[in-house]
Amino acid sequence: MKPKVIVGLGSCGIAAGAKKTYDELEIIKKDANFDLDQTSCIGMCYKEPLVEVVDETGSYIYGDVDEKRAHEIIERHVKGNEVIKEWVVKTEKFETSEKSFLDGQVKIALRNCGFMNPERIEEYEARDGYKGIKKIKEENLSQEDVIKEILDSGIRGRGGGGFPTGLKWKFANQSVNDEKYIICNADEGDPGAFMDRSVLEGDPHAVLEGMIIGAYAIGANGGVVYCRAEYPLAIHRLNIAINQAKEKGYLGKDIFGIKGFDLDIYVKEGAGAFVCGEETALIASVEGERGMPRKRPPFPAVSGLWKKPTNINNVETLSNIPWIMYNGAKEFSKYGTEKSSGTKVFALTGKINHGGLVEVPMGITIRDVIFKLGGGIPDGKKFKAVQLGGPSGGSLPESLIDTPVDYDSVNATGAIMGSGGMVVMDESTCMVDMARFFLDFTAKESCGKCTFCRVGTKRMLEILNRIVEGDGKEGDIETLLELGEEIKSNSLCGLGQTAPNPVLTAIKYFRSEFEAHIYDKKCPALNCRPLITYEVVADACTGCTLCAINCPVDCIDGAKKEVHFIQQDDCIHCGSCFTKCNFNAIKLS
Amino acid sequence: MSKEITIYLNDKPVKAKDGEFILEVANREGIKIPTLCNDPRLEPYSSCFVCVVEIEGMRGHQPSCSTKVADGMKIITDNPAVHKSRKTALDLLLSNHYADCAAPCKNTCPAGVDVQGYISLIDKGMYSEAVSLIKEVNPLPAICGRVCVRPCEAACRRNLLDEDHAVGIDYMKRFAADYDLAHENHYRPEVKPSTGKKVAVIGAGPGGLTTAYYLQQEGHQVDIYEGKNHAGGWLRYGIPEYRLPNDLLDKEVETITELGTNIFYEKKLGENVSYKDIKANYDATILTIGSQKGTLLGVEGEDAEGIYPGVEFLNEMEATGKKPDFSGKTVVVVGGGNTAMDCIRTSQRLGAERTVIVYRRTENEMPANPIEIHESKLEGVEYMILTNPTKVNQTDDGKLKSVSLIKMELGEPDDSGRRRPVPVEGSEFDLECDYILAAIGQKTDVNFIDDINKYADDGQLVVNRWGDIDADPKTLQTGIKSVFAAGDGVTGAATLIEAIAQGNVAVHSVKQFLNGEEIKPKPGEFLSKRDNFVKQESDKYVGKYAKQERQEMPVMDANARMNFKEVELGYSDEQTCQTEAQRCLECGCVEYFDCDLKAHATEYGAEQGVYEGEFKEYNVDFSHPYIEIDNNKCILCSRCIRTCDEVVGASALGLVKRGFDTHVAPAMGDSLTETNCISCGMCIEVCPTGAMSENFNFKPGPLQLEKETTICNYCSTGCEIEINHRKGYTMKVTVSDGLINKDGLMCKSGKFGYAYLNNPNRILKPLHKVNGKFEEISFDEAYKIIEDKIKAVKPNENMFFAGARMSNEELYMVQKLARGGAKTNNVSSLSYFGRGAGYHTNNIANAKFEELKDASRIYYIGNELNKNVPGFFINNAKKRYNVPVEMVTTSEVLKDKVNKATRVDNYYYFVKAVNHYLLTKGEQNQMFINDRTNAFDDYKNALLAENYDELIKKSGVATKDLVEKFARTYNDEMNAILVFHENEISANASVELYNLVMITGKLGKTANGIIVLKEKNNSHGIADMGICPKHEVGMQKSDDASIISKLEAKWGVSGLPVGVEQSPLDVIENGGFKNMFVFGEDPVGCSTKKDKTDKWFDVDFLVVQDSFMTETAEKADLILPASFTIENDGSFTNTQKIIQSFYQGMESKIEKTTLSQLIDLNAKFGMNGVSDAQDVMNEIISLLPVDTDSPTYSFEYTNEDNQNKLFMAGVDSLIKMFGKEFMTSFK
Repeated sequence: MKPKVIVGLGSCGIAAGAKKTYDELEIIKKDANFDLDQTSCIGMCYKEPLVEVVDETGSYIYGDVDEKRAHEIIERHVKGNEVIKEWVVKTEKFETSEKSFLDGQVKIALRNCGFMNPERIEEYEARDGYKGIKKIKEENLSQEDVIKEILDSGIRGRGGGGFPTGLKWKFANQSVNDEKYIICNADEGDPGAFMDRSVLEGDPHAVLEGMIIGAYAIGANGGVVYCRAEYPLAIHRLNIAINQAKEKGYLGKDIFGIKGFDLDIYVKEGAGAFVCGEETALIASVEGERGMPRKRPPFPAVSGLWKKPTNINNVETLSNIPWIMYNGAKEFSKYGTEKSSGTKVFALTGKINHGGLVEVPMGITIRDVIFKLGGGIPDGKKFKAVQLGGPSGGSLPESLIDTPVDYDSVNATGAIMGSGGMVVMDESTCMVDMARFFLDFTAKESCGKCTFCRVGTKRMLEILNRIVEGDGKEGDIETLLELGEEIKSNSLCGLGQTAPNPVLTAIKYFRSEFEAHIYDKKCPALNCRPLITYEVVADACTGCTLCAINCPVDCIDGAKKEVHFIQQDDCIHCGSCFTKCNFNAIKLS
Repeated sequence: MSKEITIYLNDKPVKAKDGEFILEVANREGIKIPTLCNDPRLEPYSSCFVCVVEIEGMRGHQPSCSTKVADGMKIITDNPAVHKSRKTALDLLLSNHYADCAAPCKNTCPAGVDVQGYISLIDKGMYSEAVSLIKEVNPLPAICGRVCVRPCEAACRRNLLDEDHAVGIDYMKRFAADYDLAHENHYRPEVKPSTGKKVAVIGAGPGGLTTAYYLQQEGHQVDIYEGKNHAGGWLRYGIPEYRLPNDLLDKEVETITELGTNIFYEKKLGENVSYKDIKANYDATILTIGSQKGTLLGVEGEDAEGIYPGVEFLNEMEATGKKPDFSGKTVVVVGGGNTAMDCIRTSQRLGAERTVIVYRRTENEMPANPIEIHESKLEGVEYMILTNPTKVNQTDDGKLKSVSLIKMELGEPDDSGRRRPVPVEGSEFDLECDYILAAIGQKTDVNFIDDINKYADDGQLVVNRWGDIDADPKTLQTGIKSVFAAGDGVTGAATLIEAIAQGNVAVHSVKQFLNGEEIKPKPGEFLSKRDNFVKQESDKYVGKYAKQERQEMPVMDANARMNFKEVELGYSDEQTCQTEAQRCLECGCVEYFDCDLKAHATEYGAEQGVYEGEFKEYNVDFSHPYIEIDNNKCILCSRCIRTCDEVVGASALGLVKRGFDTHVAPAMGDSLTETNCISCGMCIEVCPTGAMSENFNFKPGPLQLEKETTICNYCSTGCEIEINHRKGYTMKVTVSDGLINKDGLMCKSGKFGYAYLNNPNRILKPLHKVNGKFEEISFDEAYKIIEDKIKAVKPNENMFFAGARMSNEELYMVQKLARGGAKTNNVSSLSYFGRGAGYHTNNIANAKFEELKDASRIYYIGNELNKNVPGFFINNAKKRYNVPVEMVTTSEVLKDKVNKATRVDNYYYFVKAVNHYLLTKGEQNQMFINDRTNAFDDYKNALLAENYDELIKKSGVATKDLVEKFARTYNDEMNAILVFHENEISANASVELYNLVMITGKLGKTANGIIVLKEKNNSHGIADMGICPKHEVGMQKSDDASIISKLEAKWGVSGLPVGVEQSPLDVIENGGFKNMFVFGEDPVGCSTKKDKTDKWFDVDFLVVQDSFMTETAEKADLILPASFTIENDGSFTNTQKIIQSFYQGMESKIEKTTLSQLIDLNAKFGMNGVSDAQDVMNEIISLLPVDTDSPTYSFEYTNEDNQNKLFMAGVDSLIKMFGKEFMTSFK
């Protein structure tokens, strides 16, 4: 057979240079005998660009493939049949260095990502695509049957809320109206989370099929994918998928031969406001209003889009649905725990060796995710904390690292599962600054409606800003705690109700770090510049004068070839001496 | 149909309906829950989070405004946690509320005089009213206007704009107070009936006078015991006459004694009056003894002859009336305060050769009023600043020889913030002088303490370590429960205004004491201040407000001052004073009295400094002529935005940006004037703070206003409104929840069309034209002229017109005068004159405004949707109740406001085409037609004889389809309400619309049929009251003999005219009338066909009754002044036949109201028996037909469109005036 070379062209791949690799391969292809194709992200973002070579002997995925490596792979592997073992990150033929990253994973939501060309409906169908909905027709399943299947699977909303999906469908189903809507929430907004983007880019049909099944179950005749405009590739592929589905008759009138089952789906681009991930704000935005939440109840299931019953599910949830329908609830609930069945996709970022997407059965410990799959902390540094659930979540310390990742265990810590962002922090991360970072995000993303969220987060942020600037005062921690609790209990939507979480958990688990900033005017992680002292290490200083030349305030004295000295009174803590020094002769304390 | 459920409010079971919100139920149960963003007219929103409550089983707090009750729900409406959350919400809102509640002048004044308020009254020439406002806290404005130290002016923001030239607050106060004092009818507060309680006040200084003034008003008898032989205390005995003339002082003291207070002179406590007697005769005592003793320099040699405490020098002179001769002498005054100025300027006037002020700091630190310093220099006073006495040198016989002085320099600031002067070593020098007056301090003399303590039995009077009376600083109660103390005697030497402030505090306490209540200080109120955020600097004002030079105080020529005549002369005229008033920047918020944020902040003890941080500073947007947007005050409740969208339908406002930067801004434009704003002012009405306010073109205060409810006299909707006025000057109009505008709606005419009420050019007396000029005559003379003129011509040579602005009672009396007096049926209204009979049909309009929300579809025929309150009803039905709105319009605009619009060129032909189509197809509702109508067949035959295609063509619709689709869908609609405005529709078009409604059988059913909008408030009353040749009152036929005899019997006259001989239109066009009477209409000013109509009024004798000199009035031979609605009792009938009474809310500015003039005129013709609106209404009711049959409608065939409107603006000068003002304000 003719070898096939497949380049991972997800956003992460493209960002790592995969498009260049692809273009290069197109040129090489003129003189070589192979087929070139594309796929999407398989989650191994830290090894992008990834290029898969499929030949008679099997499949081999190469990592870090730049144009140079591409040439070599074609020369040696495609032309010369020599597998370059040390570059291969995944194959069934032999063990690769990345074994641990892949072995712990169970792929349901991401089952097709990176394994097919997402722009071809046939490939999806070849991988059991649209069989979930077809099963409904073939087995003549009623709406109630479908809802029961989903209820039995135990799947809970993967967008962060963790509300049982089957129950949500049941409510929407019970609302009587001749017009109903199903909406896919693809407004992934957490900093550090990109699983939804990956699914949309890698497996758009799975999401459409999930929506079709949902629409059938609740009786919806209109569908909207609300996708942030910052995901152009996802929108592009979704539109391709929708057109293909329409051509096939999978969307439109009497679809899949089910009489009276009409459904149209379109993509609505959101302007990227974080709050639009909140269901009622999302609905307002789809209606063309300013994206601001409304009081619930009435829940969307009763009065949603255009005041009609509406069901909203997240991308990851929807991509699980066809698998559940096809393989059955039992099969799904084999994975995970009793109350948190199935798998969950996590986006590993921060201070971690194997940053990327992993899909694991729920119940696995955080330690396993970070150290087994994620490969631990780089540069030999110590693990300090992990932020779960993005800006609505919280930071957990090492003492809680054996917490299993399931909804209830995580919630018990004060953090949340959220959409599955895991930001790993090592000893060099300042927890005050980290809390400030997340709060800065939510304060800016507040829609401005509720007093507590609009002004309260701003005031908390100002206090944190002061603390990291070294101007913290006695009582600041208490004010943060007090205000944080008030904001949580007096806000309309999830954004406000959770915005203080990163700060509250940071104080809960890392209070001493706040106290060090406020009372000792010190940043233990040596991160907050105004609180850092820069000193010359006499033994290491060569007197090269580089630091003195670069000091913007001329506070470094010392003759050439003699040990230099920093005038602490004048130092503005800019850190340029530290960056410039070639001899590690500037010490932070 | 909602189910009844039980909830538990604070453990108490309460019945509620499913679907109600907690806030609604709590309010109904009398449980007050604060809220800022909730508005029952709008979809619940929940942004402020001030209304939060605790619900059992629910996490966090829930906003009660948007949380629906559920059966068994347990709600706690207030507990410490809820209270704290509410306070925190308010604290957070206030942390970004960069605004002033009250102006710095008021905040700074120790007595809290409402400066901005009285300036606003001065602005309107209401001087006595200004004085009444000042006298709410300060009984001595004329005195204060001369000698106050004016902390208000130091705090005035004008200083920042016009380089330290504050608004002349005191100058204006003096002007107003002098004006008031000079008038016989000067302001006198109301004195409550006697309580039988008595209060003794010791000392008739400012503190004592203040307590007397306010306690006397409460009905307590106040007696003042004064040691000297005149009242005033230091005002008289310390301040020289050239600053404060004694006669002026006496006059102002008289405004206090005239209330009943006695002053017993030469009665000194402890000397010739004992507390023993006081205690026996009075229920409470107030010690306002002042700080009477002067101090000396405290240096060696000060016992020399020729050294006196300054105050004692001044006192001595006043008390003895003897003026020492200082000719040729050198006088040194030590000190820099106002006493020093008084001593030195007095010395100057006593002929001193050399007068020197010695002061240890610089002139900038001098506490004296800068004007005093300035004037003293003009008078020749020498200043030795940074100089201090060290020793007094005596002659051998102990007389003053010289004073040793040392130069000083300024060192570090001391506790007062002023830099401390320190001596410069070796800089001593001697100054030879004859007299030294020490003006550096005073002491309190409590020589009566033993007498008091001897007889007191409930405590002891104590002196504090400064020698002053010890009293609770908050209540001014002393150690003896019934004894209070105020003024300098408590504080040590202070200022006049501080003494007044203290007097007020004592009054508050004594009032409670006398009522047997616990003595508590006045509760504080929350005050937002810009200064809490950032010090106010010039750059915040320069360039944003116009500079305006200060009107300086005219003074006596410096060379003419060798006497004790008053130096400051006062503003010479009102013009100057009012010009100065314009300089006020109106720093205080106009919503001071109504702000919900302020009220809640006060209640919850919220503060501005709890959460300090960044705040938003916005420029105030004055670009809209009626609406001012001050985002600094906005709390983002979005009520303005939501009202504009959900109720008004203009969607002129929106939110921009996110997070902390979020703010309200005009939608699609930089200014509201660039949006769809229709200037209804509803945003102002709903704003809970002062963020949306009226862009006043006068100084609005804020002032406490009186609200008078009345019915709007613009259109025929019949909205109830509130005229907010201060003693007859209308300051604003606010909405009222009336019978029609239940939801508190109003439009621009009601809201902003009130300028006429304050218009000074009003006609107040009857005017008779003699030789081309109007001369004032008496009402009796005017009546006589009218009577003679009527009697001099044949009955039908008289013509009467009455406008639809007039009340039912007035209209009735006009036609009675015509019929019973002039014996003619020539009575009509110009608003319908010559426009065709078709509008008469509109009086059977059946649908009610409140049914709009129950309609299945609303049809608006015309263009002017969304301009007024009926438009708001329609929009609200659409937005909140999802009622589709369809429009048939000749214009392109507003298409986005409705669900469907059909564009036509001509309504008449469109409707006829629709009717033609329906009848051709046999789609009529035959059952309705048979049961309820007549003349159908005639109509059908005549209509079907017309050419359908021709009708379609003339209607101007794009395709025939549009007409047919409209006809079919309208016909099929279950509950269709058709709305149109007479202004836009011809008489025959409205007849055809009725034919359409009858064809489809939609008349006379609930939420079905027609709503007609008419031009004037009492357009319907015109018809009802018989302002029509063919119809008597109650639309009874004027040719019906039985009715005529009924009228004759009632009116006590005979020979009433029967029927109409000739149409008035024919007569008028041929100039057949000799006398014409035009009541409340301005046909000349409102004519659209002047060539034709103006000559109608060229008659032998024209009488016009109106409020202003209209163009018609100018033509008149005799003008009668007309009163305004608010000055009268009466009633209007709105377009839906609802009669609404209104009552006199303001004193009539004219001697006789419109109605009483008409009553008088009718009496001239022997028709008596009525004396007021109620009598007239009773007479009207007695004449109405009794008809209980359900109405039968009649088809009427019309053969042409008849759009021939002769007059605009409802022939009403008031509408015309406001219309003109509105148009010009946007240029």
